[in-house]
Amino acid sequence: MEDLLDMLEKVNQLSLTDEEKAVAAGYFAATEKDFATFSAVDTDGVEPMVHVMPLENVLREDVSSQPFTREDLQKGAPEAEDGYWEVPRLIE
Amino acid sequence: MTYTTKKEPTFTKDAIALDDMILTKDSPTTAGSKMLEGYTSLFDATVAEKLSEDYEILGKVAVSEFALGMLADSAATALDEKEIKAVVGLDANGAYRRTAALTGKVFVKPTYGTVSRFGLIPVACSGDTVGVMADGADEAKEVLGVIAGHDDKDGTSLPQEVCAAALDAGTIKKIAVVKDFTANLSAEMTAKVDAAIEKAKAQGAEIIEVDGGVLSQAKLAWAILSSAEFCNNVSRYDGVKYGYRAKGCHSIEEIYVRSRSETFGSAVKSAILYGSHVLSTDNYDKMYDKALRVRRLVKAYFDELFTKVDAVLLPACSKTDLSATECVYEESKYTAPASITGLPVVVAAGVQWLGKPLADGALLAFSKQLA
Amino acid sequence: MEYEVVIGLEVHCELATNSKIFCACSAKYGAEANEHVCPACCGMPGMLPIVNKRVVDLGMTAGMMLNCHINRKTTFDKKNYYYPDLPAAYQTTQLFAPICVNGRVDIETSKGKKSVRIKQIHMEEDAGKLVHDDWRDLTMVDYNRTSVPLVEIVSQPDLSSAEEVVAYLERLRSLLRFAKVSDCRWEQGSMRCDVNLSVREKGSDKLGVRTEMKNMNSLAAITRAIEYETARHIDAIVNKTEELVQETRRWDDEKGKSFAMRTKETAGDYRYFPDPNVMPVVIDDTWYNRIKDSLPEFPEVKKARYMDELGLGDFDATSLVESRAFCDVFEAAYAECGLAKDAANWILKDCANLLNRNQMTADMLSIDGRALGKLIRLVADEKVGRANAKFILAEIFAGATDPEKIAVEKGFIVSNDTSLIEKVVVDIVAADPKSVADYKGGKEKAFMALFGKCMRELKGNCNPQVLRELLLKEIDKA
Repeated sequence: MEDLLDMLEKVNQLSLTDEEKAVAAGYFAATEKDFATFSAVDTDGVEPMVHVMPLENVLREDVSSQPFTREDLQKGAPEAEDGYWEVPRLIE
Repeated sequence: MTYTTKKEPTFTKDAIALDDMILTKDSPTTAGSKMLEGYTSLFDATVAEKLSEDYEILGKVAVSEFALGMLADSAATALDEKEIKAVVGLDANGAYRRTAALTGKVFVKPTYGTVSRFGLIPVACSGDTVGVMADGADEAKEVLGVIAGHDDKDGTSLPQEVCAAALDAGTIKKIAVVKDFTANLSAEMTAKVDAAIEKAKAQGAEIIEVDGGVLSQAKLAWAILSSAEFCNNVSRYDGVKYGYRAKGCHSIEEIYVRSRSETFGSAVKSAILYGSHVLSTDNYDKMYDKALRVRRLVKAYFDELFTKVDAVLLPACSKTDLSATECVYEESKYTAPASITGLPVVVAAGVQWLGKPLADGALLAFSKQLA
Repeated sequence: MEYEVVIGLEVHCELATNSKIFCACSAKYGAEANEHVCPACCGMPGMLPIVNKRVVDLGMTAGMMLNCHINRKTTFDKKNYYYPDLPAAYQTTQLFAPICVNGRVDIETSKGKKSVRIKQIHMEEDAGKLVHDDWRDLTMVDYNRTSVPLVEIVSQPDLSSAEEVVAYLERLRSLLRFAKVSDCRWEQGSMRCDVNLSVREKGSDKLGVRTEMKNMNSLAAITRAIEYETARHIDAIVNKTEELVQETRRWDDEKGKSFAMRTKETAGDYRYFPDPNVMPVVIDDTWYNRIKDSLPEFPEVKKARYMDELGLGDFDATSLVESRAFCDVFEAAYAECGLAKDAANWILKDCANLLNRNQMTADMLSIDGRALGKLIRLVADEKVGRANAKFILAEIFAGATDPEKIAVEKGFIVSNDTSLIEKVVVDIVAADPKSVADYKGGKEKAFMALFGKCMRELKGNCNPQVLRELLLKEIDKA
């Protein structure tokens, strides 16, 4: 379990304290005890249901509009200059 | 308890409050998270826009972080303490339904797709529903009437005539009580359920008992689906574009990890970890895809049941003394069946009354009789 | 031991739409940083994706041009990873039911003809752009490109040399530009290519260790990268110089080397899942047929028709089918004037000159082809002189649609009144006895000088043949 949580922390760009890990482990354990009966449900031939309402072709016309300014969008930016958001130099 | 009170009521219009999951451009919306402290949206949610035409929006009611918590008690408190007609907020995992059941409020969780999700801080998009909490069914119905309707800006929004039909009154004569869900309740909760059944009978409703079948699997299936969607929805909060950025970071990884870790609470972190777990290549088929299939079976269970009855009674939780620190997962057993199927629910007389799609108006009319 | 290289390509083409795939922001290239951005495409919460219908049209068109099967029900999925060019930390793409599958592209190289199988084409959103500032030691993020619609065209590993890869890419580019799916500009990043490459013993049916080079953006660089990477693989196998591992590599065209990448792409598990916010797209027969009917002829079919039916030469026909815009103008002009050769000349010479002068490419020719046809007819009927016709063409280039009206307004209509021409000829010949004498003495150029003077005096409005005859007659008399 510890290894799994460590791996998932990395995947999710998170770092958990020991107490937080204990909470997460508790959550995983709670779901785990229901897993056997869940797995036993016969779902052969059942189509996965992504949407609960049967809509299709919700589409828009190809018309562009630009109601927000860059200044508005960057008002709450932690760091922005010359119209760019900024982060420390990335190494490829 | 109330997060902000924008202004004093003018009494020319009735007042309502939004919860802190609904974006508005004239005041911060934080989803109860340190990550979004002071965050102000550039646009109004469709529901906020609609409500502001008919009501004075008095402010925002606090929510647990990303509404994942056990209760929405700030909303109930606001209804008691402020001169407001209703609180409009996001029912993500049942907090409003549990709170309404315990406080005697009415809460309507409308049919998925009848109220726009545009401008909602997303939690689990396939089940997120904007609902209305009020002191009585009339108020809830009036406010639902204002916010329901088609919205081009929400790709899962139902056509206008369908949304309108959801508000039509109908009659509820035959009600199913699901056996597996009324066992193992606390004595107080059992009493609440029994009292609700008696009230329904007094209105001439016929009660039948049915087996739960696949219904009990909705709990884990919805935990899987909603955590995965939640994990995906909150991955955008990374300290780059807006919101909190940890101080003194020297790399992008440090910004990501520290900004997220320093702001998110343990419930949010647990849900993120679990949500990514169920989507991993190794687990996708046996967890996520399986849950999508179980969802269809749960839906089929209800479809079949609604050929025989007009409503289904489910408790909203197992006991009356819920604490904010308990694991919500266990209590979600009662709320997950409607969350995962998008069926309408009205909480009244301390229990959930589920209806078939678009039975919102019928459920509200029925719950009025129970008052 | 002989070795062979096995190559599969993933080609990304930005679609020629006005707006982005899931929001209404402009999808046009070349704006100032973050000018084409809204809360949705910079990762803010609350907005919901609505699919741009034109994207589906173009996705289908691409598939039909590449002989694909079109999935009549197509869905979108989310792909998760953290990187600053991905503002919501997920990309919406198609994993489970892409719009097109099982296609075929025919190519020709020095080794002959070959079919390259297409595995699938899916629609997805582009990522933003990162600009690294070494001076300030930071990276600047621009989300203009975020959510610009793309098709990703995935080939089977059917290619076995850089030459084949180039032929395949040129063919793709030609077909997609012809169908106006994408402008496919390598230099603007609207066409990019990931190269998957492995090496095996010749004849073996087992694939070797595969490496991937991402975001290649020129045919020259792709050729060099394939040659380098092939040599590196063979060296590793034969001389055991290194252990080959399956990985993503970055091609450094300046250094002429590939390097293992150390960032995002090594993460691996993208945790795809179906997008709950985007409903399935279902393509009915009406929609399918509308796209099918709108497909252009393939360039080589057009070329053959231009040669066989319209009598154009190979050079003209080949030059026209380089550009769909040229073909459209040519066909409209031809329909109006019935003069194929003249229409080809006006486009390939005069229009091309105007494009050049305005620093525009062939694809940007957007004149009214019928107006050009009318102009060609006026010239052929000797109603407007050629020099004046060029002036009118410039007007058509600027948007004019009625050449005859311009000709009348500018006084360009050729006069049939030979008395006026005669008068000018008499005056000019009388005024320039030296040129007359020079011509009679055998200097051909002197005639052209006299002819030119007459033409200028007449402002170009005369039939050159008539002028020539009258001028010769008058010189004889002199």
